[in-house]
Parts: sequence; structure tokens; C-alpha cells
Amino acid sequence: MKYIKYIIVLLLFTMQDVAWAQQRITVTGTVYDASSGKRDPLSSVTILSNGLSIGSTDNNGKFSINVPNNATLVFRTIGYDSKSVKVDNKTSLTVGLTSSSEKIAEVTVTSGYQTKSRTLNTGSAVTISGKDIQGQPAGDVMSLLQGKVAGLNIQNNTGAPGFRGSVTIRGISNINVTGNGNNAFLTPTSPLYVIDGVPVDDNADYSYGFQQAGPGVSPASQIPPEDIEDITVLKDAAATSLYGSRGAYGVILITTKRGNSKVPVVRYNGSAFMSAVPQLRSVIGGKEERLMRIRQILMNDTSAIHALDLVNNTPFLSDSLNAYYNNSTDWQSYFYKPTYNHNHNLNVSGGDVQFNYKVVLGAYDEKGIQENTGYSRYNLNMNMIYNPVQKFKIEALLNNSIQKQRMGSGNGLLNNGVATGGASSSLLPAPSLYSSVNSVLGALTTDDDNKVLNTNATVNIFYDLFRNFKAGVYNSYTTVSSTKDNFSPAALNSNQAKYYTYNDRATTLYNRAQLSYVFGFREKPGDEELAHNFNLFAFSELRASFFKSDAMLNDKVVNDQLRGPLTLMTSYLSSKGGTIGYTDLRTVAFAGNFSYNYKSKYVLDFNYRVDGLSTNGPNAGYKKNPSISLKWNFDRESFLDAWTWLDYGDFRVSYGSNISPNGNIYQAYGKLYAGGRYNNQNTVISDLGTLPNLSLEPTKATTYNFGMDFSIFQNRLSVMFDSYYKQNDHIFKEKQLSSSNSFNVIGSTEISNVNYGWEFQATARPLSPSSPFKWNLSGNFAINREILAKLPDGLREFIQIDNSLGQSLYYRLGTNSLSNYLFNTKGVYTSLDQIPVDPVTGLPVRVGGNGLLNYFKPGDPIYTDLDGNYIIDNYDQVIAGNSQPQITGGLMSLLQYKQWSLEVNTSFTLKRDILNNSLAAQFGLFGKPTEMGGLVPISQYNFWQNVGDDAVYPNPFDFVRSAILNPFRTNQTLFQEDGSYFKLNSVKVYYNVPQTLSQRYGMNRLSINFTAANLGYITRYSGPNPESVSALGRDMSGGYPLPKQFTLGLNVEF
Amino acid sequence: MKTSKSIFKIGIALCLGVLTFSSCKKNLPEERLSIANDSKYNVTVFQPVLGRSTLFNNIFQYGNSSRPLDFKIVNMRTFDGEPAPELTEHYPVLVWKGIYNGTEKSIEEIEAKRTIENHPLFDIRPHSGDFIMWASANSNMIKAQPDSGYVFDVEMSNSGGRKYFQNMRLMPLRERPYEPSNLDPITGQGTSVSVNPTSVFMAGQRGQYFNTRDDVQVLFKKTGNGNSLTIKFIDSLSNPIDPNNFDETDWENLVHGFNMKKDDKQVKYDVAYPIPLSSYPTKYTTVSGDQAHMVFRYSRMAFGNVLQKNYLTFNFKIFEKADWELTFWFKRDKPKFDND
Repeated sequence: MKYIKYIIVLLLFTMQDVAWAQQRITVTGTVYDASSGKRDPLSSVTILSNGLSIGSTDNNGKFSINVPNNATLVFRTIGYDSKSVKVDNKTSLTVGLTSSSEKIAEVTVTSGYQTKSRTLNTGSAVTISGKDIQGQPAGDVMSLLQGKVAGLNIQNNTGAPGFRGSVTIRGISNINVTGNGNNAFLTPTSPLYVIDGVPVDDNADYSYGFQQAGPGVSPASQIPPEDIEDITVLKDAAATSLYGSRGAYGVILITTKRGNSKVPVVRYNGSAFMSAVPQLRSVIGGKEERLMRIRQILMNDTSAIHALDLVNNTPFLSDSLNAYYNNSTDWQSYFYKPTYNHNHNLNVSGGDVQFNYKVVLGAYDEKGIQENTGYSRYNLNMNMIYNPVQKFKIEALLNNSIQKQRMGSGNGLLNNGVATGGASSSLLPAPSLYSSVNSVLGALTTDDDNKVLNTNATVNIFYDLFRNFKAGVYNSYTTVSSTKDNFSPAALNSNQAKYYTYNDRATTLYNRAQLSYVFGFREKPGDEELAHNFNLFAFSELRASFFKSDAMLNDKVVNDQLRGPLTLMTSYLSSKGGTIGYTDLRTVAFAGNFSYNYKSKYVLDFNYRVDGLSTNGPNAGYKKNPSISLKWNFDRESFLDAWTWLDYGDFRVSYGSNISPNGNIYQAYGKLYAGGRYNNQNTVISDLGTLPNLSLEPTKATTYNFGMDFSIFQNRLSVMFDSYYKQNDHIFKEKQLSSSNSFNVIGSTEISNVNYGWEFQATARPLSPSSPFKWNLSGNFAINREILAKLPDGLREFIQIDNSLGQSLYYRLGTNSLSNYLFNTKGVYTSLDQIPVDPVTGLPVRVGGNGLLNYFKPGDPIYTDLDGNYIIDNYDQVIAGNSQPQITGGLMSLLQYKQWSLEVNTSFTLKRDILNNSLAAQFGLFGKPTEMGGLVPISQYNFWQNVGDDAVYPNPFDFVRSAILNPFRTNQTLFQEDGSYFKLNSVKVYYNVPQTLSQRYGMNRLSINFTAANLGYITRYSGPNPESVSALGRDMSGGYPLPKQFTLGLNVEF
Repeated sequence: MKTSKSIFKIGIALCLGVLTFSSCKKNLPEERLSIANDSKYNVTVFQPVLGRSTLFNNIFQYGNSSRPLDFKIVNMRTFDGEPAPELTEHYPVLVWKGIYNGTEKSIEEIEAKRTIENHPLFDIRPHSGDFIMWASANSNMIKAQPDSGYVFDVEMSNSGGRKYFQNMRLMPLRERPYEPSNLDPITGQGTSVSVNPTSVFMAGQRGQYFNTRDDVQVLFKKTGNGNSLTIKFIDSLSNPIDPNNFDETDWENLVHGFNMKKDDKQVKYDVAYPIPLSSYPTKYTTVSGDQAHMVFRYSRMAFGNVLQKNYLTFNFKIFEKADWELTFWFKRDKPKFDND
């Protein structure tokens, strides 16, 4: 804060300087809204004199400026017609502005590091105001954008506090899947986040929870939602091409708030919120569980004698008087409970165009609904803009945040300990140190402490070299350090505690130097308007990022109390330590933009960007990404002058490409390491794991976009339509090499996929402007089709075998990339004569060998026998389904009446297939009545019980054959369900306390809000929640349920 | 006029936009299945025994070809390259349409589960590539070994293309109407008059325990074209032994037959052929269901006053529908039924 003093002194000097130059007077006054009868004061109205901004109104619409006595002042603000007023020696002015019909037309859009008016912006971009995401506390701000932007697909697939859902713009751009079964994860392709002009990479390192090693905090979550001015989503290549490397997955620009009031304003946003446990599954408990198992055995075993023997040999069934087995424990109650949380934000801002500042202090604390999980964030963000003279501007930003995360025994996204614990038999005793259910203790007593420290400093300097020629430099340094300490007590690990510790450091240095020049010609001398306008823009970009992570696992710690320093490891075989991740990436880019428009009617943009990446193979060279876009603002055509109801209308066409880096430097150049001594010489050995790929390419996204926007009847209805074709080439995947080769794999970039689709976004204000009600209705939807276009080595198809659940992925050209490979279940055999019989042998259809138990019976699922050999085996699986949502969108309504406003946000996802692994596991538990595990009532499902039953689910009780037949196998279409849903995201009620009342207490503004979030779903999906499934559409019981959230918020402004 | 011109202009822009995208979609790959080089038959010479249904399965390796696949036998010819209409034309064959599981109460009930359909005698399963030799094929019309038999090709196809497997051989063997068989597979001539039972535990009257190789023999004899099975026991002088001596035998469930007629010389059942009808495990078959299983039992007090449980078991198959007579010939000695 020390320098502010100097700046103020400087500021005073400059003002004095101007004052001497002319005869000046101080003008004060008020600006009000002339279109409403109430004459509401208008805040943040920019006041210009001679085209220069000289001040703005405060929150009460008041202003005080120092101007020449004969000046002409122009009052301008978004949504209102500008008005010019002559001062004529008056020292007090009252100015009324009428709301504008060209409201949207004046909106500016930022893309490609430039801000342009909406008319001149040729790309496909949607801006969401920060106001639209207020009132709902969130660890990750992106979760609040769900359903707000057409083509931005957000699935909040985990309720773990601070974790992010999946964010994709215009479909998936990567088809790689890591892990197996329930732990299979789609490689995320989150868009590039640009926070206040500085790109932040979101796809690096261990920032997703499933990469076990680190804490897993999203870089975008460091910005508290309350501090966001607006968020712009850039979708097509015309908008994103200048972001070049890493812009291939789309770009999201986040602008934080600025100070704009001359009088310092102190705003406080606080909220207390409750996270409620959603409906958990009901469980059969105690005696009922035992009797159910015994009944099942007696009724379904091969013989009565064998059944009795089985029951008597299973102690937890027969020994009902044993205290150890005579319980009714509700395991879920030990994990889940509602939590009470809070969120505070203090924003101090002030200043005017010449100098403004903002300081935000935020604290957010959320305890997860699962025991031992939670997320806290503390941040201190500052920015300052100093604009002493028209020619020079300096911007400084400093963002700091500390984020803490507790993940229990899980990795955040998954909490399998809770899942296995929660699925324990109710007959077992409640958790204690003597309990046998270790996963419960694990989830409850593991100490997991993760801390992420994020500091970002940015200094931007702008200087106008001469008229219309601007230069600017952006410098930013970001450092993120994360630690994770996970202590698992002795009781869990054969009486010797275990300690895992992790730390990483990531630094990014970013520099961008840019130049822009604007010039124009008049068509005829004497024309007022410039007809041919040119804009030249060029920049160079440098980025150096470094990441290193170290981890240590001390397998046998002395005792539970002594948690460090890590001592000599006794169990040297399982204790491990070292550097687990190391990247050092350099990128350099040069880019230029040429923009031309004829009377703002025809706009042509041409962008060109050249990127060099250190991870590119030496033969791949610099990557060149051009883009060209055209826009026709047809509303400006003279022949449409008669269409007075048309506010604006345009067509946009664009083509362009973007890249995103792939792989790492070792995959491009290979790796050498020091070996043992040979012949008394030190040796250097080539790592034979990966064959260097000298032409390792970055992923390239090429987009064609056709768009149309129009607004009619003074903004009563505005519509945006986009249609796109996006091709991602050079998608990275490690390719196995032939075993005759001495290398194992090569990083290949030979995969392509294509996304094409249509996006539609509309806003309507159905009520007349004179109505006391203001109703704003907006909706959007996007249809996305994704097709796999190319596989390595000219393959037409490829199956990625999943060994754990059999849920293999089928990649086939010409269809959606991530298809499931499943047994096609067509129902359940109701009776014996339904079962197909082999005409040659007279045998019914069977699985595996010739045993009596292998033949299908009534009550068994009907699987398609694809090859018609009357044997159901792995060759009978079919390609089925699409795990990616194909239609997404949302509807929003904002109704305002006097001091009250009611906002309803909804979103929907249609045409998506979910594999309900959780239900499969629930049914599967009935197949093992002699093994302990929680039984879930299945009476609400239509399953087969008697011959003649026309059921959906097969007979769960036939435990004798369940191991052979596996009727509840997870890889069948029975459990592939329609995951379409319509979600009520939030309902917000605001009440603005009348200013007359609040000012009595010295408050400028006071508003109270109540928000209920994650209220419910309309869906046909049989599981608990169609949204909290993995990005591959798998609903696993280890997932973290999405809590319902009820918030009471307070906003005060002094 | 101006308005119509503007609408025209806007229309052109729209068309251009739509055109741009339709031309893009044309470049996308078609969804097609794949045909791989590693798909192949593991067996290329097929030697089915005529007179019985033979299914050759698990002979095709799908490799990386995507299912469903279509298979077709093409170019069926004799070894000399002459056409072989006897294998390509359709003939009536007996096929199953219901599940035989051993619970049927009459021959009619069993027959209701079977029907006559027309098929080529050597058939291929259209999607799995398995081969079938139907039971109706006999050596009167089909060239059986020692003839070199037939040569044929198989066409495998799906939407991704087609592939041919050439010069596969079909070399049928002559009928052997029952198993275990005393007939030579190539010539069809008997190499002995009888076969051995599966196991025997019985003492002869002269005190020796029988062995299955020499002491007890089983003779198959076709006596007519009906559908019955007769069981006889004879001693070394071909004098009949009263079946009632095997008094602990479960005569009702000995074979899946009906209308049992038992007298002191033989036991006769009306049966459906083949025996067993399918390889579904039933109480009339071995555990695997592959063969019919007969056990004849009696007990006697043996030396030292112990109860001796005697039995004679025979696992067999009969393929040809006829009046079959099964004679258990105690070749060297009569079994001893009396107590010691």
C-alpha cells in the first residue's frame, strides 16, 4: 500500500497541471434513469469530455468533476442512450438518461487479447455477467456456469468440496482413458482459462483429483465468484486463434472486478450455507438382513441338505447370538451428515478512470457431507489501475490464495473407502478400533491435509506511442506450491502407521508484448464517418513453466504420535521417495491480427499465430495457425432501414485452427540416464521405455463456424445461433510397439476426431418496459455430435480392454469415440420355451462349458448371441451407447418486482448413456449370500421371481449359478441407462432493503438473499443422481454425492 | 422489392453456411466394420462321421475382425473339381426346436420338440463359421473315406469387406451307428463282434471277478426299423439270464424310454433316437451328458458275510433309429447271484 501514497501525490500533480492550463469549474450533479418514473440514480455512468473519460458517477448517481466552464459533457453507460450536456458555467447538473434500444449493440466483447464492440467481433463468444453467478457459494466458480452458455458442457460430477466437474467446450477433444473399471477416467480437456489477460493452464500436473499423487485443486477455483466481473466463453477459432497453443479446447476469459467509484466503497458479501445430505440408499438392516440371506439360501440352493449345511457353516448367519454378528449398524450414518459452512468476502474499491484500486479479502470454508472431507479457501486479491495521462496506463494485479483440502481416505473424486465401508454388512458392530471394517476407520481416521498456495502477480503497461498506435506489455509470474500429507494410523496398517507426503512447485512466467494500430479512410472527402477502417494488432508471447513434484511414502512410522520428521525407513521395500513429476516447458509465439471493416457493415478479420513449443519433436517445427472470419451486419444495410423493429442482425463465418501441446520432452527427444560402471567406465544408457518421436505434434483443432445473431423489438428478443465443425487432429496416445522392437512404446499423434453441432441461445424480455415487473427469460441449448475420424496406423477400430469390470471401450471410425462394448440385454427369459435351442444339438443357449449350471434358465437375462453359436461369450458384445452428452443447455428466469427478485436456474443434459455400476453391484451382492456386505432393498425394481414374470432385471437370488452366469455383469446394456436429466440448479430470492431504510444505518445498499441449490432432477435414470457420474458416464458407488445447498446471504455496501 | 432483395441476400448467406457444413460432413469416415488378417480357421480338414449330427465349433478365430460376420460356403466341389450337388442342395433333416432336458413323459412329447427342415447336408452357421454335418447325410449319397471327399471355400464378410478361406477339405467317415463301436472308421467293417462295457464289478460262479475286456461283452444288433431298445443278458452258452436277477437296477430310469416290458428274458423300451437325444446332462446320461449311462445292480452276501454291491455299467450312444437289441454277453462265466 506504500506506493499508493506516491501515486496519489503524482495524481495531484497532474491535476494541478491541467487546472493551470484552463479556466475550470467544479461541476456536481446526479444522473438518473429517465425511462422509469422512479428516477432511479444511475451508477457507473462514464462522463466524457472531448472524447476523454474524466469521471463516473458513484452508486447514488452522483458525480463531481472538474472541467472547463464551456465544456460539453457526454454521459454514457451501457443500456442507455448517450447524452451530451453543455456546462455553460453551471456548477450543478441533473441528467436523465433514457434506456437504449441498442443495448446489446454497445456491449463489448473481448477476444484475442483485444476488446471490440459487439458489432466488430467476428467470433462466437458468450459473456456471462458476474451478477448471474452471485448468491450461491461455490468452491469452483465453473460449476455455477452450468446451463448458462450454449456449447459449454459442465457436469458437476462430484460433490466433493473444491473439486471441479468436467468442463468441455464443443465436445471432447481427447479420447484417452486412463485406469480401469470404476477408476477409468477420461483425459480431461478443460478449456484455457485467461484470468485478467493472463492464461492459466488447467490441464497440467495433478490438478484433477483422480491423479492420486497431489492435492488436486483446480487453478480456476482460486477466484471467488463474488470477485468476478464477467466471464466470456470463446468458442470458435476466430475468437480463440490468437490464444494459440493451449487454445484448442476453447478459451474462458475471467475478468475480476475493478474499482470505479471515486468514493471508496466497501462491500461485504457473506453467506452461511448448509450442505444437506442427499437421499442415500436405504439398506436392509440387522435381523432382516440375516433372515433374507437364510431364506435365499434355503430357497435357491441345489438341495435342502446342502442349503442347511451352507447356512450352518456360515457363522454370521447361524451364530445369531454372537455379539459380533448381532448388530444393526447403519454404516452410512457414520460417514454422512449435514454440514454448516460459511463464506465471506470483503471488497474495498475506489477510484476513477485515472486511478482505481480494489482489494478483495475472501474466506470460504466448506465441510464436505462426507466425514473428514472439506475445502477452505482464503484469498487476498488486489488490483490497481493507474492512468495518469491518456497516453499511459499501468495495471497491477496481485492474487493470493491459500486453499486447503481434506480428502479423507479417498482421492477426492472417489471415496472408495466410504463406498466399501458404507456397503458393509449391517450385522457387524459399529466402527471402533476393534472393528473389522478397516475402510470405515480409514475414512474416519486418516489425516489428510492438502494445501495449495497460489500467488500471481501481474503488471501490465500500456503506452500510446502516437495517435492510434498503442503498445502494451503484460508480465505475469505465477507460483503454485502444493503439499499433501496423508497419515494413516497404526490401527489401519498392521500396527505401524503409514505416512505419505507430497510437495510440488509450479511456476509460470508469462510475457506478452503487443502493438496495435488503428486507422481509417473516408469514402468521400467531407464524410463524417470513416468508411474503411483498419486495425492492425501484433504480439509476441513467451511462456516458461516449470513443475516439479516430490513424494515420499514412509511405510512404517514409529507411532501415531510421531508424525515426522520422516525417519530411517524400516520397510525399505515398500517405502518410496523421489521426484515423481518434472516438466519444464517453454513456448514462444508470434501472432498478428488484421481487421478491416467497411462502415462496420462488413467486417473481415485475419489472425495468424506461429507457435514454438519445447515439447514438439525436432521435426515438427513451428506451428502456424491462421484464422479468417467474416461478419455481415445486415441491419446496417440501407435496404433494411424499413425494418425498424430489428435492433441488430448479423451473419458470421469463420475458419481457423488452434493447437494444444502434447506429451512431454522425453517423448520427443528420448531419455538418457546414468547406468552402472562397465569396464571401469561410467555408462550412459538410453531409456528403452519410450521411442523418441521426432515429429511429435501438438493437437490441432480446426474449426469452421457459421453464426447468426439478431435482436428485435428493442431487445425484447435476442437470439444467437451457431453451427460449427471442429476437427481435432494429432490427438496424443501412446502406441505399443511390436515386441521385436527394443523400445516399448512411442508417443504417437495420429488420432483425429470431429465435433460438429448447433448452438442456440436466446434472451427474451416478455413484459413491456413500463410494467412494474421485469422478467428476463433466457435459454440455450447445444447439440453436439462427435465422431472418431482417424486411428493410428490406419486402423478402423480398436478396443481398449477393461480388465476389472469388463467395460471395454470401443473406438470405431465413423461413430462416437467413446462407445461402450457391452452384452446386449434384451430382457429376461420368462419361461423355458423362450430360451433359444441349438437346432443341431438340442441344447439351450449357454455360457462357457457344458455343465448343467451353464445353461440358461428362466429368470436369466436374454443376451444377444451375436455370432449365433448358442454360446454367450465375449465375442457376443456389441458396440453400444455414447457416454458423452449430446444435447446440453439450460433455462433461466429472473423476475424482479420492486425490491424483490426471484431467479431460477435450470440446466439439462439429454441423450447421454450412463453405466449404472452401482445398481449392478447392488444386485450382484445377492449372488453371494454367504459373504458379508450390505444388502440394499430391491423391491422397487422389477426383477424376475416366478416363471411367467415379464421382468426387467434377472433373478438375483440364484446364487448357485451367479458366479457362472454373472447375470448382473456390469458390461451389459441392462445397466446402460438413459442419463438425460433436467436439473433445478438453483432458486434465488433477493430482497433489496430500500435505500432510505438502509441509509439510516449508514449502509448504502443492503440486500439479503436466500438460495437453494442442487434441488433436484427430473430423470428416468434409476440411480440416485444422473449427474454425479464420471466423465465416462459410469455411476460408481465410490462417487461423492452432490449435496443440496441452502444459503442465506447478506450483501452490504458502505 | 428491396425487402425481397434483402431476403434473397440473407437466404444466400444461409445457404452458403449450410453448404459449408454439409461438405465437411462428407469427409467423415463411414461407420464400417473391420475385416482383419488374423481371422482364420484353426481346422481346415473336417472328417465328420456320417449318420449323425456333427457340429464343428470353436474352430474359427475371429481375430480383430468385428462382429457380426457373415459366413457362406462357396464353391463346394469334389476333390476332382466336379460340382457336388449332394452337399449344396437342401434335404430334409431333423432339427431341434425345443429344449430336451430329460423330463419328457412320452415319445410324442419328445418328437414335439423336433421338426423336419430342409438344409444342405453340410451347412455353415451364418455368423459364427461353425460347420454342421446333419444326421441325414449317409454314405449312399456322400463320398465317404477312403474317397478323397470334397473341397470347398468359405467366404467371410461384413460391411468392412470380405475374405476367402480356400481349399478347405471335407472327408466324411462312414456311418458307425453306435458308440463304442467295433466298426472300422474308414471301411465301415467290423473288426470284432462286440464292444466292452464301461465297468463291471461282479464275481463269476466259478469265483473269479470279471474284467471288462474279456469277461463281459456287449453286442449291438439291429432287429427292425422301429424305435425300441431291447436289453438282454446271456451267459457263455448264450442261454438267457433273467434280468430280474439284477434286482437293484432302477429299471424305470435305465434309459429315457417308455412302455417298459420286462420278462425273464429281456427288457424292452420304446425310445426316441438318437440315444442320448442331446448332450444335456440328465439322469439317463453320464455327468457330462455325452453318453447314455446304464447301471445294472444287485447285491449279495459275499465271502466273510459282507454285503457285496455288484454292478455293470455301460455308457453308449446309438445314432440310427431302429429296433436295437443290446446283449450283455457274459462270455466266460455266469455272474454269481447267490450268497456265499
